[in-house]
Amino acid sequence: MAETFPVKPKLRSTSSKTTPTPESKYWKSFKIPKDIESIPSKSLNYPINSLSFSPIAPHDFVATHSASFTSFSGQTLEPKFTVSAFSDAAASASFRCDGKLLAVGDLTGTVHVFDAKSRIHLRRLKGHAAAARHVCYPRAADKFHLFSGGDDSVVKYWDVTTEKCVFDLLGHKDYVRCGDASPVSDDMFVSGSYDHKVRVWDVRVSNAGSVMELNHEKPVESVIYLPSGGLIATAGGNYVKIWDMIGGGKLLYSMESHNKTVTSLCMGKVGRVKGEEADQYRILSVSLDGYMKVFDYAKFKITYSMRFPNPLLSVGFSPDCLTRVIGTTRGTLYIGRRKGKVESDHLGGDQLGLGVVEDEPQRSVLRPSYFRYFHRGQNMKPSEGDYLIKRPKKVKFSEHDKLLKKFRHKEALVAVLNRKNPENVVAVMEELVARKKLLKCVSNLDTEELELLMGFLQKYSTMPRYAGLLTKLANKVVELRAEDIRSSEQLRGHIRNLKRDVEEEIRIQQSLLEIQGIISPMLRIAARR
Amino acid sequence: MITGGRSFVSSPPAFSNDAKRLLVCTGNTVSVFSTSTGLQTGELEGHGAQVTSVIVVPASTPASKVLCYCWTASLDGTIKYWDFAAPELMRTIHIRFPIHSMVIPSISSERVESNGKYPDLFAYVYIEGGKQKEEQPHSSVGQIWKCNLTKSRLVGGVTLAKTERPGSITISPSGKYIGIYEKRKLLIWEIPGKDSEHHGYKKIRLHHTKPFTVMAFHPTEKVVAAGDVTGRILIWRGVGRRTFSNEINGGVNMDAEDRPGVRDNDDADSCSTWHWHSAQVNVLFFSSDGSYLYSGGREGVLVVWQLDSGKKKFLPRIGAPLLYFVCSPDPSLSSISSADNRIQLLRMPSMEILKSISGIKLPSSHMEIYEGFGSGVVLNHTTGLIAVPTENYRVQFYSLFDDREISEVQICERNHQPGDEITVKVNLVAFSSDGSTMSTVETRLPEEGIGSLFSLKFWACGLQSKHFSLSTVIYEPHRESGISCIAFRPTGHMAVSSSYGGDFKVWIHRHEIPTKDLTLQNNGWTCHAVGSYKKKPMTAAAFSSDGSVLAVAAEKVITLWDPDRNILLTVVGDSLEPITTLSFVGKTEYIVSASRGSNPQLTMWSMSKLCKIWSYRLDAEAVACSMDNSTFAVLALSRLSKSMEPAETTLQDAEGVILLFNVENPVPLSTWIVSKAQGGGLSFVRSNPRLEDEVEPKTPDEVLAYVNGAHEYVLFNPYGGQAGKVSIPHRRNFSVSDETERFGYTSIYGELPEFNLKIDQTPFPSMPSEETWKSIFSGPSHSLPPLPKLCSDFLESLLERRSAAVE
Repeated sequence: MAETFPVKPKLRSTSSKTTPTPESKYWKSFKIPKDIESIPSKSLNYPINSLSFSPIAPHDFVATHSASFTSFSGQTLEPKFTVSAFSDAAASASFRCDGKLLAVGDLTGTVHVFDAKSRIHLRRLKGHAAAARHVCYPRAADKFHLFSGGDDSVVKYWDVTTEKCVFDLLGHKDYVRCGDASPVSDDMFVSGSYDHKVRVWDVRVSNAGSVMELNHEKPVESVIYLPSGGLIATAGGNYVKIWDMIGGGKLLYSMESHNKTVTSLCMGKVGRVKGEEADQYRILSVSLDGYMKVFDYAKFKITYSMRFPNPLLSVGFSPDCLTRVIGTTRGTLYIGRRKGKVESDHLGGDQLGLGVVEDEPQRSVLRPSYFRYFHRGQNMKPSEGDYLIKRPKKVKFSEHDKLLKKFRHKEALVAVLNRKNPENVVAVMEELVARKKLLKCVSNLDTEELELLMGFLQKYSTMPRYAGLLTKLANKVVELRAEDIRSSEQLRGHIRNLKRDVEEEIRIQQSLLEIQGIISPMLRIAARR
Repeated sequence: MITGGRSFVSSPPAFSNDAKRLLVCTGNTVSVFSTSTGLQTGELEGHGAQVTSVIVVPASTPASKVLCYCWTASLDGTIKYWDFAAPELMRTIHIRFPIHSMVIPSISSERVESNGKYPDLFAYVYIEGGKQKEEQPHSSVGQIWKCNLTKSRLVGGVTLAKTERPGSITISPSGKYIGIYEKRKLLIWEIPGKDSEHHGYKKIRLHHTKPFTVMAFHPTEKVVAAGDVTGRILIWRGVGRRTFSNEINGGVNMDAEDRPGVRDNDDADSCSTWHWHSAQVNVLFFSSDGSYLYSGGREGVLVVWQLDSGKKKFLPRIGAPLLYFVCSPDPSLSSISSADNRIQLLRMPSMEILKSISGIKLPSSHMEIYEGFGSGVVLNHTTGLIAVPTENYRVQFYSLFDDREISEVQICERNHQPGDEITVKVNLVAFSSDGSTMSTVETRLPEEGIGSLFSLKFWACGLQSKHFSLSTVIYEPHRESGISCIAFRPTGHMAVSSSYGGDFKVWIHRHEIPTKDLTLQNNGWTCHAVGSYKKKPMTAAAFSSDGSVLAVAAEKVITLWDPDRNILLTVVGDSLEPITTLSFVGKTEYIVSASRGSNPQLTMWSMSKLCKIWSYRLDAEAVACSMDNSTFAVLALSRLSKSMEPAETTLQDAEGVILLFNVENPVPLSTWIVSKAQGGGLSFVRSNPRLEDEVEPKTPDEVLAYVNGAHEYVLFNPYGGQAGKVSIPHRRNFSVSDETERFGYTSIYGELPEFNLKIDQTPFPSMPSEETWKSIFSGPSHSLPPLPKLCSDFLESLLERRSAAVE
């Protein structure tokens, strides 16, 4: 017994890009939350120089822009406050390891320390002769010191409580623009400079200069420690390079997929997805070319890439893997939020739940005298080991399929034309061709139905996907129905539109041919070499 | 030697008296199938030509239901009487003329009057040819004669009718009337109740304006139904009231008004017409109580008409034109034979399909009309399967060694309307050398230049399931031009498709190691390279056995390419006509090419010398190369054989010749004459171990398989040296004969693992017929009969079986 098949359009070609990996699904799932879409703070008007997340939940973050910084709530993603206490543009911000203090460097060379909650200005660390472009608290446990790097090519190690510089670290020969503290040690940190060098410092051996020196070969824009503390990633020029610190500063890999200067790096984490990518770290890099790329430094492979309309300056990723923020030169903040439980909700729920005593209503035993007895178990979910017997999927027949089954060809064509899905229309036309009934259908159409067809042909006959069939069909339709077209005003309008579209298409084709004519000799020459 | 692939639908089948067996005319033999499992249980061998009729002797009493006797008639001019349970030939009657149809009217009434002496049994046979040689040979070749089966001779002087061509005789269920249709009239005779050799026959004629295609008698009333080529069904009531009634013209009224619809002065009371079928009616059958009429035709829909009201019920989507409808003695079982070589068993009142017995798909009558629609039968070298593209966009896999359908794959998801003009067809099928990948090309013909489509599909075979699943679809791989050939590289995942549009494409299978996680790797086929040679149509392609050289025929020359780097290595030769077939011979450096047309040629090229070694003027239908050694076989159409070898001019009846060559030697090693070579196929097939130990101990690895145009095939050992006519097989091995042997054991203890038969209908060991087994052990355990009774039943059934097997 033969099965019946509905009329199906041709398959679309699927490239490897369109089948998303779980990881690209993960990175795509960072979406702008609907409730903050309208707030004006998304646009801060000035370039966003730096973004920094608090290491403590709920992971508030600050963005520095012009002579101020704005703190955003990690829960609602709305701006909490803006501090404009600077005499020049703020350049860099860093949270202390407990998230209570915030250090911000500005272009006058001063490093300001604020209370992150009450925004009280606590300390001013003055000492840089030029702009303090980089500030960084140690990340492990040290709460009393911080590092800063300045355009005077000096890296300073500060004691915050006394507002004193403990010592200067000399060695860079150009602006120090970036740096990072080691995630495992309070004494180790790196700084990157425009003299193409990245230096690794250890405050325990401060007088000996840098512990290690790496040559990035481009002005270094950003440098970060990878979570193990043994690898660092540097960005400068179009490159992102991975270095092995333990192995004596060996270059492991150079990623060269950005087209313009890479401005910022940060660590990302693939969290809370199933599969082998779960809880793996990634390097997020943003560049002036508007791309954010996700780099898997275990496989040395770009796993995701996303384009933004503006040049990107800074990037931040919350430690709980829920928020991803990107700042641009235009002052726009792209805040992406994944759907997921914020941990604080958890806590709140638990607190509430403590007081309530669970009081399940006693369910009466079902007996065959109840109506529900006969419906029991319908919502039962199969357990893991159960063998599922699936009900065969019912084939859905749309209107045109039913009409085609009854051999009512013209009605099927009109029905599918009314549905305005070009793929299905072409599929039905192809089926009619296979039955050798298409031209008969065309010649039987009423004026209104012919109008419908002409509208369709005008719209789609120049689309490459359908052009093979539709251009020839348009020709035939005009041939077959010339009399009717002449007599109807609307049809004449359709013909005019069709003619215009065809002329446009011919122009495009000609210019394409011209381009091909220009290119093909070049390719010949290139092939010869 | 194994033959197979016979048509099951050349003549109507017949049920045995207990409705547990179905007798099907399959070529020269009658095959007995079990209706409960759909598997073959036996075969009646003995006829020398196609069997055209099989009539089971009906049982008049319930006790005689176990009797298994039947009469068969064949084109070899004999009527034979069989005991088909044994199976054993009982009697043979020589008629000397090809019998196209036979009916035995008094067969059921034979046993009624058992007063010691049986009356003679008479058969009416429709034979071809006759004694009137002095007349024009064309007219009246079909004649109906009477034959005394008891005395084994023809009844002289009784010729009921002479027609232009022999057709089939229809008999009424009561055996009282027989009828034939010829062109636009029906002829009906009354058979006297006590038939004897000398008897007059009353005859009536019924006329119509269209040629008839089928007729049927009502079981009780004087009603005759007939179908015509336009799909109309005509029903005459009160047929023969004047002629067949004893009183002579009692009260005849010749008024036309009183006899609506009846033409001229045909002997009938009324004639009504039903018209539902859009094309010719092939099946007409009255139900046994006479209240329903079954009809079927080209549309593949069985229609049930309520005779009084004309109301209809349908069994749609049978999938092919219907040919025969046969009822069994069991009222709940009947069978439909459809044109795609399939017999379907129906449970009757509900008309649901219980089982289907399918043979190899027959070539469609109008498949080869169009250019480029080849026969497309492909033999798989390793698995011993033959792939047959069917009319309903499928590919049927048929096992050559088992003579059984293995599976079907739907290539194109489109609703097939049997009887429609064919516009979409699967016209190329190719397999990779290990059989794991299949490639198909389907073509849609354009309507006045609009909407032609070629699509190339690659199918992957699962490791365990042996079922092909779609891997890649490529629409219009060569733009608007058709594909002439697909060839797979013997090593590695590479294929080439050559097109008439002047280019060929090399496709590779993307090697992506699937990762452990759930990511579905898209491992499809992608285009690796495109090549063309002077914009000439590429007509054939082949890879060398090590895969290093790709040979593509560019119309009349052979171009050799490096498939990996897509570099043209060299160009060889010049033939007179476009090359249609190209093949490397085994592991040697030789290429054999065949071109057809007005100057056909078979040429052997040496790749090392880049020159022609030898050539024949031979119209090669197919070329097959052995994989192991340097021999190859050619199937040549013998209309040119005179010029080739004078010895074959004497054999005019043969249509084709299979020639076995060695590459170095232009003299063929052996020659076989075959028939129906047009559209045939040829291939070397690796013989499976089962064949080796059963046929001959020293069977070579490869046997040659030849499939003729009617999809009948023969497998034989090409190196055996037996030249001459390909004869009928000496022994056939159907798997079911094994099954009868292990009947008692396996039904209790389950199937033994070494009996690895490919049974796809039934997962458990199936019994050839419904024996006492089912009745013994059916039902819950507490309601089983007591053990002594059960035991005796059990042993009895075993004994019964054993005796049958011994005989």
